[in-house]
Amino acid sequence: MSFAASLAPPQSLSLRAEPILSRITLIMALSLCITLPAYALDTRLFQGENVWLKPIKFQLALALYFGTLALYATWLPESLTTSPKIRRLLIAAGLASFAEMIWIGGAAMFGTASHYNTMPLLYGVYALMGVLAVLLITVSLVFGLAFWRAKRSPLSEPLRLSMALGLVLTFVLTLIAAGTLSALSGHHIGTPITGSSLPLMGWSREVGDLRVAHFLATHALHAIPLIGLLAVAFLPQRLANQAVWAGASAFTALTIFTYIQALSGSPFL
Amino acid sequence: MSAEFLFSLVNPLALLGWIALAATPLAPRWIDPVVGYILPGALSLAYCVLMLIHLADAPGGFQSLSAMQALFTDPDVALAGWIHYLAFDLFIGAWVLRDARRRGIAHWQVLLILPFLFLLGPAGLLAYLMLCLARRLVPSHQEDGLS
Repeated sequence: MSFAASLAPPQSLSLRAEPILSRITLIMALSLCITLPAYALDTRLFQGENVWLKPIKFQLALALYFGTLALYATWLPESLTTSPKIRRLLIAAGLASFAEMIWIGGAAMFGTASHYNTMPLLYGVYALMGVLAVLLITVSLVFGLAFWRAKRSPLSEPLRLSMALGLVLTFVLTLIAAGTLSALSGHHIGTPITGSSLPLMGWSREVGDLRVAHFLATHALHAIPLIGLLAVAFLPQRLANQAVWAGASAFTALTIFTYIQALSGSPFL
Repeated sequence: MSAEFLFSLVNPLALLGWIALAATPLAPRWIDPVVGYILPGALSLAYCVLMLIHLADAPGGFQSLSAMQALFTDPDVALAGWIHYLAFDLFIGAWVLRDARRRGIAHWQVLLILPFLFLLGPAGLLAYLMLCLARRLVPSHQEDGLS
């Protein structure tokens, strides 16, 4: 199978292949129309950053996550994506993500913490949001297993394998990284003094920061299929399969390394 | 009738309207006209009467933000302004329900937006418009509970 043909989805590639995920993606992206002007106009800071930075990061991340799933769904058998159980899961995940955004946006509006809020009522909401977050990443697991089983996939074998591994690893690694984050009292291991951090991502350059591992874990569903794409483009199939396995292992190792690095109190870079 | 007394009258009335809107599928044939037209109409009538009586004597005006703020220091005008909110929000809420039914949007989806329409009017309208836009850009290829 040629490289181009290995990528061709069964239908023409469009948002319509999986309407639930595509609509969630669109609404999540559209909601940036509210927070971006707020970011530009609001002068309040929370922990040294504009209060709206965090909601915007989450909106971007969730839109990217659902957009990726919507794209991947075009390569899944229609019998799966249209099954009532899956549809209910997707709708529930979408509602969970909107609830998360209302929670995070609401906290920004009041200039208070969304995660790690210790006020009695808000702590309860924070715990509930954790449950919803698990629901969110469950879609990744379900899709990953579906790719794993889809032996008659239109995708070339290394690519199918990379998507299965990437999606399952996103679930497993995120559960570990985010689970640890939620069990601690903050994302820093240690106490930052100068507040020096990496641009854009905001990861600490002084102390351990578990958000690095969370970031890598959650982007396994992008990184490993990307390795798959490169493998298909440059290697013969048998080698490409092995390259995907090796790449997935290396990426997992890197994620675990940043996880242990953060827990030991060392900065990523 | 004091402004305070009228205020305590119109609030539960509007609240009742919103509860009825949430329950629309139970009795659309009477909830639609009563909450969609009669109730906002009655509130609008109260607004008109209040404005006719009190606007001329009230301080301030509409020419600047501070003049507007001064205008709303008058309790009767402030009450009229509040009734304006109640009437228009309710009318929009009922319109959203009718429009959603016409488009085949499931009632549970509207139920999620309804609290925003009720408490933060424009936020709810924006949420509904975004839902409509997303549905327009991504039509469902089958008839289903999603729609």
